[in-house]
Amino acid sequence: MSDDDRAINDQTGSAITLSALRNAFPLFIPAIPFGLVLGVAITNSAMPTAVAWSTNIAVFAGAAQLATVSLAATATWLTLVATAAVINLRHVMYSAALSPRFNDQPRWFRWVGPFFLIDQLFALMSARNEIRGSEWRRFYLSAGIFYFSSWTTVVTLGMLAGSSIPTEWRLDVAPAIMFAGLVVMGLANRPGIVAAVVGAVVCLLALDVPNNGGILVGAISGVIAGYLADVDESRRDDQRAAAVG
Amino acid sequence: MSTFAAIAAVLSVGIITYASRAGLIVFLADRPLPANITRALRYVGPAVLSALAVNLVAGGQGIVGVEFVEVAAIGVAIVVTAITRNLIAALAAGMTVLWLLLWLS
Repeated sequence: MSDDDRAINDQTGSAITLSALRNAFPLFIPAIPFGLVLGVAITNSAMPTAVAWSTNIAVFAGAAQLATVSLAATATWLTLVATAAVINLRHVMYSAALSPRFNDQPRWFRWVGPFFLIDQLFALMSARNEIRGSEWRRFYLSAGIFYFSSWTTVVTLGMLAGSSIPTEWRLDVAPAIMFAGLVVMGLANRPGIVAAVVGAVVCLLALDVPNNGGILVGAISGVIAGYLADVDESRRDDQRAAAVG
Repeated sequence: MSTFAAIAAVLSVGIITYASRAGLIVFLADRPLPANITRALRYVGPAVLSALAVNLVAGGQGIVGVEFVEVAAIGVAIVVTAITRNLIAALAAGMTVLWLLLWLS
């Protein structure tokens, strides 16, 4: 029997939505300066302002949006699309990591759900192992819709007021702080630490790879290192068990 | 850039973004993934997020874009997260250190 056979009542549903919003909100805070920056970039874009703004709905991915609206002045269609594709490659990994959680979900949700899969939602959902089925779906959609509407609001506010926040406040550092914090929150074992450290160090060494490709090189190296550390750890556990036995 | 070219660019980027998010979920979800893959995927989160953090610190300027004050702020935030398990506390501590160091220098 799937969890969907067990309908959730209104009270449980509201509790899940509330819990989703409570957990989603802190992760949104560091995205605010980024959204304001994007708002300013949209007003300065070589694209017509309304079209540049429509990336909020058509794309909904901060880094890819920022690249699209700011490269419009200089890049060809092909460079623009290729750059966005490289920036978006991490989403393929998010999608691969979460795909087992979509096993017991209805078809419509498999098509609609991925639209909302931004960095924050991935971080939120990959740590959410205690719920399944319709509860997981309600949590996902509540957080996803919250991020979508807040993001569009903040970017629009940025178009109106973003330029008046002094750059000396250095709010541009907030996203990096938050991502580092997210890494620490997600670390459960030694291979996880190996993956995070290798990912960071390799990305640092690969910073000159164009189009933010260093993110991808670092991420893939980190995943391989984490996997190898995991295999090594379980082999040692087996040896220890054999020695005791 | 003409309105038509801009719309074409935005739609293309939109389709690529959606495809990168939906491809594996729409086409993989019916089959269980091989154990090896699931094992490797456990480490996607820490690896990508830490690489993303480093990339953001560099700010598209390569290694010269990495400032001491940023590294100090992130270091403090990592320690605070490890102790408190609270991201808002980590952000507050990191930004406070950043502002203190900028004010002292």
